[in-house]
Amino acid sequence: MKTMTTLMLTLAALLLAAPATAAPLDEAGVKALVKVIDDRQRNSGDYKAMVFLERKEKDKNDLVYQLVVYRRDADDKLMMLFLKPKAEAGRGYLRIDKNLFMYDPATGKWDRRTERERIGGTDSRRADYDESRLAEDYKAKYVGEEKLGRFKVHHLKLVAKKKADVAFPIQHIWVDQKTGNMLKSQEHAQSGKLMRSSYYPKWKKMYSESKGAHIYFPKEIRIFDEVEKGNRSTIVIQKVDLSSLKANLFTKAWLESRSR
Amino acid sequence: MGLYLTIALRNLLQARRRTGLLVTALAAVTMLLVMLMALSNGLTETMIRSATAISSGHVNVAGFSKHKTTDAWPVLHGISGLRKQVEQLVPESELLVVRERAWAKIISNQHSMYVSPTGVDIREEARLREAVTMAREGDYKEGGGDQVKGDLAKLSEPNTVMLFASQAKRLEVEVGDDLTITAPTGAGRTNTVDVTVVAIAKDFGFLSNWAAFVPHQTVKDLYEYGEDTGSVIQIYLKDPSQAEAVMARLRQDLKAKGHEVMEHHPAPFFFKFERVAGEDWTGQQLDLTIWSDEVSYLKWVVTALDAISYILVGILMIIIALGITDAMWIAVRERTGEVGTVRAIGMTRRQVLTLFLVEALLLGLMGTLLGGAVGSGVAVLLDQAQIHIATEAVQALLLSDVLNLSVTPSHVAGAVAVFTLLTGLSALGPAVRAARMQPVTAMHHAG
Repeated sequence: MKTMTTLMLTLAALLLAAPATAAPLDEAGVKALVKVIDDRQRNSGDYKAMVFLERKEKDKNDLVYQLVVYRRDADDKLMMLFLKPKAEAGRGYLRIDKNLFMYDPATGKWDRRTERERIGGTDSRRADYDESRLAEDYKAKYVGEEKLGRFKVHHLKLVAKKKADVAFPIQHIWVDQKTGNMLKSQEHAQSGKLMRSSYYPKWKKMYSESKGAHIYFPKEIRIFDEVEKGNRSTIVIQKVDLSSLKANLFTKAWLESRSR
Repeated sequence: MGLYLTIALRNLLQARRRTGLLVTALAAVTMLLVMLMALSNGLTETMIRSATAISSGHVNVAGFSKHKTTDAWPVLHGISGLRKQVEQLVPESELLVVRERAWAKIISNQHSMYVSPTGVDIREEARLREAVTMAREGDYKEGGGDQVKGDLAKLSEPNTVMLFASQAKRLEVEVGDDLTITAPTGAGRTNTVDVTVVAIAKDFGFLSNWAAFVPHQTVKDLYEYGEDTGSVIQIYLKDPSQAEAVMARLRQDLKAKGHEVMEHHPAPFFFKFERVAGEDWTGQQLDLTIWSDEVSYLKWVVTALDAISYILVGILMIIIALGITDAMWIAVRERTGEVGTVRAIGMTRRQVLTLFLVEALLLGLMGTLLGGAVGSGVAVLLDQAQIHIATEAVQALLLSDVLNLSVTPSHVAGAVAVFTLLTGLSALGPAVRAARMQPVTAMHHAG
């Protein structure tokens, strides 16, 4: 069944890729495109990546974090373990069901955080590290064909579904017509105010044994705060490993043991 | 007793230099205690004034709403009906106001900070209007003048905000500038409201670090709260000392009216989120507090000041008590012959003991009365002078940018009584020794 879905989505992507380069998308096409964006990034098995997160804020010193992100997409599991700087080493985030918990090694305590938590105090959110769930969380509408630099793109407007647990209820995304990669997104508050713009300049694909297809992931995400101008964060994703992770990995005990 | 007083006074006048020194030392310690108590009183009064203007009524009817067990939203639904009930149940109230509590990031073109933008209807906030003073431009803007810009009444206009001077300084804004307030809605989605600064008030110490005021609707828009909602009904009483009794009575009355009421927990509402989020209930529960609960995290300042005062004054008093004991030993020694004579002509031991004790008590009374009077006078003058406190950390601790001292007559009387009594006790040893002298031995010693 999983293979069948993958094949259908791949087929949809191929169908989209050819004619979409020249024509705007209808409602079904938009729906299919959003599903393709999600599916290209999803791995049915496990995922591990070394991530560098840089924060630049006005009146503050620049900060660079190094962390490992673990995902088990089949069970919607996510864990992040900070390695550097030394002061942050051992801090971790763990999602259990719909709850995000943060572990502070200094106090040895777990705190329940909102899913919309700013990770490490940067402009990045949990969703930036997690599998893409655009089709699940948003209703998409076609805005038009546009040019983003030298790229011809589809511009879509996404509005969050009523019960979706998302930080930003309105998103605009720009998708490369040729490759199907998302190149830019703009996230808006409920009031409509533009909160942040993200750019995805580099994408990489890897073959996933568990999925039986390639998965795509952005090598770099540049996030610009549109309200506090001058604040920005950069996420660099390296050393992606799609091999199976230990079964007991996504537990508080495991994260605590690594923190020690 | 008149005879004892006359003899004691003559003895004190005879040893003018020693008496003068001891009276001065006693007066200095009493003065110090009176002034420290005035500072502590002033701090407590400022705390009540700040707390009841900025973050609390004398009694508060607040509460939490939970759609799911892990929620903890400081919002009450059906606030207008609840307000009517509270009005009926607390006839001794002087003023009732409804406010919305919030915690949000406020962003200017230059900087950002977290504040508690409290939703108010400025027209009904008589106490807030009376308590806050508008800041001079120079208080928050470099090179600013003495003119006061802005108007608190404009807070009745939609999407406006009143900041405190330290916030305006930090955000680098002035009256007329626009700010963005951002917070997650009840559903957890990012939301914003753009507001214009209409007034900038003088700082209120620690509490004004994060308090800001906006119209009701601004908070409701930010959190997407419904029309008939609010966070707290603040009750101001004609007699604030009745706060605890009124809260206890209101708790029972509201329960009788069918409301779910949380157990009394003497802490500010923002200390309760984690506990409430961990409780296994959904719906709405009321949380009743009094003003001191809402600023309980500041009580340590008064406690610490009182502790330092008592330790300091206690040490000084021990030193002075030793001085008095020593002086009385000298007096007894100098007057051994006189003691022998008065004992020989019929004065009893008890009368001799009383004579020396009256002398010491008179000495103590003169010193402490002088110290109490001077200390009270200086404290009143310092309070009236409204001396500006330059250091921000001290301002934060004292909850004010000016020095406030408050003299309470009962405290001054207490200080005078305690120190006079201690002086008398210090003289007890030498007085007993004098009383026990045999007349013959004493007269022989004099010869």
